[in-house]
Amino acid sequence: MSEPVARLTAALGSEAVFAHEPRAVEGAQLEATLRPKSGEALSVALRLLSVEALPALVRGGGTRLATANAPCRARVLLETQGLGEPAEIDTDEGVARFAAGAKLSALRDALAGSGWELPLDPPGAGTTLGGALAAAAQGPRFASPRDVVLGLGVVLASGERIRCGGRVVKNVTGYDLAKLFVGSYGTLGVIEWAWLRLRPAPEATRVCVAALGRDAEADSVALAAARRPTVRVAAVVDAALVPGLVSAGAARALVVELAGDAAAVEQDAAALGDLAGAFAADASAVEALHAAQAAGPLRVRVAALPSLLAAAAELLRAGGGAVLAYPARGLLWARFGLEGPDDERGAERALRAAKEAVRAAHGVCLLEAAPLAARVGREVFSGALATLALERAVKRQYDPAGILNPGRFVGGL
Amino acid sequence: MQVARQAPRAARAGGPSGVPGPAASEFVAALREIVGPEAVLARPEDLLVYEADGLTLHGALPCAVVLPSDKTEVARVVRACRAHGVPFVPRGAGTGLSGGAVALDSGVVIECSRLNRILRVDAENRIAVVQPGVVNGDLGKAVAPHGLFFAPDPSSQLACTLGGNAAENSGGPHTLKYGTTTNHVLALELVLPDGEIVRLGSAVGEARGYDLVGAVVGSEGTLGIVTELTVRLSPLPEHSETLLAIFGDVVSACRAVGEIIKSGLVPAALEIVDRRTIAAVEASVYAAGLPTDAGAVLLIELDGPALAVARQLERVCALCAAAGAREVSVARDAEERQRFWRARKGAFGAMGRLAPDLYVHDAVVPRSKLPEILERVCEIGDRHRLRLSNVFHAGDGNLHPNISFDRRDPDELRRVLAAGEEILRVCVEAGGVISGEHGIGTEKREYMRLVFSDADLAAMCRLRAAFDPDSVCNPGKIFPSTRFCMESDPKARRYEQVELA
Repeated sequence: MSEPVARLTAALGSEAVFAHEPRAVEGAQLEATLRPKSGEALSVALRLLSVEALPALVRGGGTRLATANAPCRARVLLETQGLGEPAEIDTDEGVARFAAGAKLSALRDALAGSGWELPLDPPGAGTTLGGALAAAAQGPRFASPRDVVLGLGVVLASGERIRCGGRVVKNVTGYDLAKLFVGSYGTLGVIEWAWLRLRPAPEATRVCVAALGRDAEADSVALAAARRPTVRVAAVVDAALVPGLVSAGAARALVVELAGDAAAVEQDAAALGDLAGAFAADASAVEALHAAQAAGPLRVRVAALPSLLAAAAELLRAGGGAVLAYPARGLLWARFGLEGPDDERGAERALRAAKEAVRAAHGVCLLEAAPLAARVGREVFSGALATLALERAVKRQYDPAGILNPGRFVGGL
Repeated sequence: MQVARQAPRAARAGGPSGVPGPAASEFVAALREIVGPEAVLARPEDLLVYEADGLTLHGALPCAVVLPSDKTEVARVVRACRAHGVPFVPRGAGTGLSGGAVALDSGVVIECSRLNRILRVDAENRIAVVQPGVVNGDLGKAVAPHGLFFAPDPSSQLACTLGGNAAENSGGPHTLKYGTTTNHVLALELVLPDGEIVRLGSAVGEARGYDLVGAVVGSEGTLGIVTELTVRLSPLPEHSETLLAIFGDVVSACRAVGEIIKSGLVPAALEIVDRRTIAAVEASVYAAGLPTDAGAVLLIELDGPALAVARQLERVCALCAAAGAREVSVARDAEERQRFWRARKGAFGAMGRLAPDLYVHDAVVPRSKLPEILERVCEIGDRHRLRLSNVFHAGDGNLHPNISFDRRDPDELRRVLAAGEEILRVCVEAGGVISGEHGIGTEKREYMRLVFSDADLAAMCRLRAAFDPDSVCNPGKIFPSTRFCMESDPKARRYEQVELA
């Protein structure tokens, strides 16, 4: 046990610190695991880590460890699943406060029958709320969590426990710091809890699927379908990613979920039938999108303007990718096959295609998954960051000792 | 709440921030060199216009007003201010209500009214690229032919600018369904407080690094000067209906709002106008034919697919009736819809008839608490013998208690300020916050500790320090004067180093 770890153990107790032989995780050699059970314990832990200048890999459900840059400098693992204060659900108001360590699946269960639903659906069965917010992870139904977070409890690297925002749905009281922490991959602070704005549970939902061809017309049909008023999922997915969903021979599937007023949903379902020959399917089609988004040894996510997304998708396909696209959101995932974790040439080919796609579509790209060998020493976020000096200044302000996921975010932040 | 009126330092000491007279004229000459002689105002009579924004109780004269015409000029003006040690403040149309656009410490006002071009409307991708001086309502007009609209719609939308909307994270009646400005800004071009021009965010809505767009929107012009915005446009709804529900008292109207929210309906707007406001409106040019014997009216707008709106309308009518509405009318045509809205949008103008001054408060509470909070707000107004009326975004829980008064009566002014503080305390105790859309500015900075701990405020100051370590960009706003930043000497106006606990 190294001296800093020994001091951590002495301060936090052996029930919160588990020292072990150095263990390789995501390119880092970790010598202890910290499992704080409360915000208070997390605060003490972070303060000590700052004092010791001991960098931590912060982990929620562990579903996105391979996303973002490899955190090679981390020396301890900080697990947040123990942050599990009871939920506070206000069904009059449609808002709720949940602990960061809670699994999203548990939150969905807690809301079942309340008339409200959780507006987060990233893939990953074990995803925690804190992890989903830190990674700004999104799924087929709901876009980035940035706009549903009303308030956050955050523990800074200094150990200070702070609150940003509040529980009300409209708030300009001071800086909107919550925006800074959402999507910062745990590099500025560790989220302890969050107030979320819930969505009213829809009166009716309906899933429709249509087979699409390879032509450009299919793209415009998909965009028109995606812009029907009750649409909450509208994906164009290559048949290879959703086996069995559409008849053999169809190149792609259009998967739409309608939600809201029952009569309006009916109307949109009929419109989709006319527009794309869509037929009714069940919710498993949306589950298939979750699986498609999370699958594969190498995956890139590309955001682009809707009008350029189809062109980006074509370049990714030309480079061997299979694509799941959300046309109206201007977002796609491309999956590439590899011949094992050491297939450097395969990885290079995929990354070249992603680069081309991003350039052509003036987009933003993230290498969301790849074998460790392809990530170590590589920037997985696209393009040079013109604002790096400013972003570094922000990082220095919140984590001067550099203990929170150092190097994991874009530009080595 | 203090009535702050800073004496113009230029008049006292002969130059910006106390620099002597010759240095001041040299500074003004430097500004003229950058933007041209007509685009710098420095005569006392010209500066008076910029002494206050919509919050006329808080005022301070700038040492000069500069009207740059492009981002390069903005950046050069900022660098000139830095070189001369003069703080600066961005200003849009000056319609803000918290003192945010006022230059303290004899700073320079950088007015963005000449940066007023809509650079691009991309209807296919539903975005627009605009300069900060574009008037909110003008963008709406420009994109309507494409079947689109810009959702944030502050009451001042015929005058206020998009740069100001971004600075204040402005809302409006339609925030309830569509969100505030922060939900509609995708990218910004920003002149940093050191004069560097940066682009934050991207038109595709994904930041490459930290969500600095999210941090800058709502930062009240303290992190830099926005010189370009890329905003999201929304499709105009297929159908909309406007309803007016009439209640015997404002508490019943609040109850109806609570029931509508609880039911999971999301109207486009839910606005309450109380009896005193109705009386003022009906006696003014904005008269909308509202019943002056009503305790309150609830203005409801529903939008979406026609089929869905028809069903929502039935449910909303039933909920209003159950909450005690004595009448619910549905606007028959566009003209009647406008008449209903006139009562809401003209309320502030109509208040001008009641007294020389109007204090427009702004606080937010959970919507389920509205009935009890409204009762307490009215009680506070009565106890302080004030003419208090309410017209507000009930669907968001965003209160606007308005106090009509005469500032020439020092006792009444004292009571106005005391009541204001009490109202804020009551809202915070109910789980609310002290501003929903007007911002903190100079008005409420001393009340920030009602909501936030010192550690919370220090965390905000860390962001400020990353953007503006010397605190030269709109100093003296948002943060409480003690411990954090505001010292009497502007040179000492630095954020304390936040120590590790």
